[in-house]
Amino acid sequence: MAEETTTTHFDAEDTQKDKYLTFHLAGEDYGIEIQYVIEIIGIQNITDVPDMPTFIRGVINLRGKVIPIMDVRARFGIEARDYDDRTCIIVVNINSTEVGLVVDEVSEVADIPESNVEPAPRTHKNSEESYIQGMGKINTDVKILLDVHKLLFSGEMQDLVKNLEEQ
Amino acid sequence: MSMPLDDDQIEIIQEFATESRDMIEQLEPAIIELGQNSDPETLNAIFRLFHSMKGSAGFLEFDHMTRVAHAAENLLDLIRNGEIELVPNHVTLLCAACDFAKEALDIVESDYNDDTMVAPADEISEQLHQAIELAKGGDKPQAEDIEESVPAEQPAAPTEQPAAEGDFPQMEITDEMRLSFVQEGNELLQNTEHGLLTWGENPEDTDSIGDIFRNIHSFKGNCGFFGFSQIEKLSHQMENILDRVKSGSKLAIDNPADQLLAALDVLQKAVNNISDGKDDSIENLEHHLNALQTLTAPLLGDFLVEEGVQEEAIFHAVETQKKPVGEILVQQGTASTEQVTTALKKQQDKIKKTKAEIKPVARTKTPAKRQDIRVELGKLDSLINLIGELVIAENMLIHNPDLKGLELENFNKAGQHMSKLVRELQEMAMTIRMIPVSGLFRRMIRLVHDISVKAGKKVELELIGEETEMDKTVIETITDPLVHLLRNSLDHGLEPPDERLAAGKGEKGTVKLSARHEEGEVWVTIEDDGRGLNKEKILEKAISNGLIEGDGSDMTDKQINNLIFAPGFSTAAAITDISGRGVGMDVVKKNLEKIKGKIDVFSTPGQGSKIILRIPLTLAIIDGMIVRVGTSSCIVPTLSMLEAFRPVMDQITITPDGDELAQVRENFLPIIRLHDILGKNPDSHDLSDGILIVLESQETRFCLFIDEILGQQQTVIKGLSDFIGNVPGVSGCTILGDGDVCLILDVGTLVDSAESKKNKYENTQEVI
Repeated sequence: MAEETTTTHFDAEDTQKDKYLTFHLAGEDYGIEIQYVIEIIGIQNITDVPDMPTFIRGVINLRGKVIPIMDVRARFGIEARDYDDRTCIIVVNINSTEVGLVVDEVSEVADIPESNVEPAPRTHKNSEESYIQGMGKINTDVKILLDVHKLLFSGEMQDLVKNLEEQ
Repeated sequence: MSMPLDDDQIEIIQEFATESRDMIEQLEPAIIELGQNSDPETLNAIFRLFHSMKGSAGFLEFDHMTRVAHAAENLLDLIRNGEIELVPNHVTLLCAACDFAKEALDIVESDYNDDTMVAPADEISEQLHQAIELAKGGDKPQAEDIEESVPAEQPAAPTEQPAAEGDFPQMEITDEMRLSFVQEGNELLQNTEHGLLTWGENPEDTDSIGDIFRNIHSFKGNCGFFGFSQIEKLSHQMENILDRVKSGSKLAIDNPADQLLAALDVLQKAVNNISDGKDDSIENLEHHLNALQTLTAPLLGDFLVEEGVQEEAIFHAVETQKKPVGEILVQQGTASTEQVTTALKKQQDKIKKTKAEIKPVARTKTPAKRQDIRVELGKLDSLINLIGELVIAENMLIHNPDLKGLELENFNKAGQHMSKLVRELQEMAMTIRMIPVSGLFRRMIRLVHDISVKAGKKVELELIGEETEMDKTVIETITDPLVHLLRNSLDHGLEPPDERLAAGKGEKGTVKLSARHEEGEVWVTIEDDGRGLNKEKILEKAISNGLIEGDGSDMTDKQINNLIFAPGFSTAAAITDISGRGVGMDVVKKNLEKIKGKIDVFSTPGQGSKIILRIPLTLAIIDGMIVRVGTSSCIVPTLSMLEAFRPVMDQITITPDGDELAQVRENFLPIIRLHDILGKNPDSHDLSDGILIVLESQETRFCLFIDEILGQQQTVIKGLSDFIGNVPGVSGCTILGDGDVCLILDVGTLVDSAESKKNKYENTQEVI
């Protein structure tokens, strides 16, 4: 079972290499590696879960699976905005944990070869920096490439998990 | 190292391993029971286990397993024949043999051979032989016995156990022979059954009786040849009856086909046993024989002779038996009307009685094949998920907004039918994965036995609620915790007999292991009547280990008790080989967390302790009440709901601390506002505008303030994502008919959650 997934994973990596799903968030373009993306769905009715950090909006039902939803705006501390018909949920899967990410608008799948990716800037320390994997250039456009793992698990989420363990 | 095996062989080996393991699991408790009462049936069952293991292992060329099984079999055979006395040491040895077999099966499953088991096999079979020698006494030194323990080439020679010969054929029957016997036997029995059924419908048909007779006769012959004496006896009895029927004699009841079929089932069962490699023993053989015996009674003539009628006359009467016998006799003047009436009455009585005796032989149909198949767990899981999706899809279809306002009579009918089917399907799916906890509990009998012997304590293990069903994975996960908890209870909790007597308790300690459904969870409770947890000792240890700060005087009993689950924590003065390293409780906690379970510890010094494992029914359906606060709805398990009412202000009291209490008859119950817990805006903050529901969890009662009760529904519990983890006050969620996720409230932790919220609120107030 485990073997199977890894083999498909390797196969997939060849075709999915250097491909990023790009999306809009508060006037900036971001990208995440396509290998993590399961699907993109429109915004749905989200059920609140008490005692969660503000950026965890709650859970949704995705064909019988209960998936937690993270608002990326809130995660970055960007001012909230009402959801509209362009708002999307990107469902990602890391180590078989599925999480939905709420973004303003999904743009496209872009090919950004490694040579076009600049390392993350280290100039100043803000909360956003730690989630950045690099800066991707497509002609004159710049996409902020996010480290999905850190986006999901670092910072407050870690604390949450730790708190739970202590309890 | 050996030849590469093809898939078929691997499959056979795996099947062998699973089956053997199942058998060992079933029989381990029986072995322990042997120590207490050596009931021959149990003894036979254990004998069969080792016998069939020997057979299969021999066939698959696992020589070391064969050797051990053979040695155990020898020992059991001697005990069974009463040649040697069963001593406790034998029980221990047999347990050891089981352990060996389990270990060997593990290796067999991974390596497909048991070559690495040489040393332990030698040791155990040697021990078994010594036990046999010892029991037989020095006067019969049988050196060749040991030689014979290498059974590969030399099957157990009949000369070795002459006493056993009669009951248990020692002739070596090869697997091939066995197979052909089984095949032929099945065929013969099937023919017989078919014949009996047609004859039952059409009793005049003498041809079918002849057929039946021939089939049973050849079956009997086969049995005799193979030495399956028990089946032979039964089939012989059937043959007798058929013979009588064939020759036209009267039987106790007009048509004994049912009784014969019942006996046939017994035969079929025995043949199945043989095909599974067991011996031919039939349960209650005597009973079955007697049941058939009664069929051959009674003849009217016999009674008439009793009444003083001449036998010759009766013969004559029987010859001309076209009219009822009695009538003819009266006509001929050989018997008075009175005599005949009495005889007839007697006959009637006897027949009635026999019928009454015979009736309870309900025909239990024994299928020729096993009725279960093994399915990979993954497949089951996806099936269950698919069914879950089907339920939602069905809801979306039937309540589709496009259909609104349309008059669709036929569609609605079809829809209702489908809904019903889907519900049934869902209920079925839920039960598939559930197995009773009895297997798990019965495994503990062995453990308790072993530990009590080692620790020199007298223990009685009580098992309650064995039939409670739980998810298979959950049962696997709580196996280790249960082992650790029981060890703890036995090693630390229960006192040695003299200490118990001094404390005024019975010499024998009691450990209760129970499982039951409670508040939408399964509670597995381990309760002992030992010395209980020593709070001072726990605190002292915790302070010296640096687990807590200060002197712990501000800690509640519950908090102190929970310290025992800290890693590396142990108050045991000395590490015994059973427990004391402080790892166990940590394992308990970790495993329980995996399945989102909780542990509660209760302890009364000097009277014992009680540990409850609260395990959520991951796949269970619970009855839930859907309640609404503002825009969000939640589900409250109906099990923990006592009542619901709309409060009037007179019922509400507010304490100086700001706590709200509601008076429900003579009790004052604290009020928890659901909107505070969920962080929502209710329709109204005024208590008299909403509804209070009284909830109970482990003897604490409180009121939950909500806006409205929306309805009741059976819900399928789903876990919240691992990403979110445990949420206080919430035990899981479910998907409602409209596809929305709805949280299920955890009544047990709601109080804690409300308290911590309040504290947080107060703290922030202070900061401000």
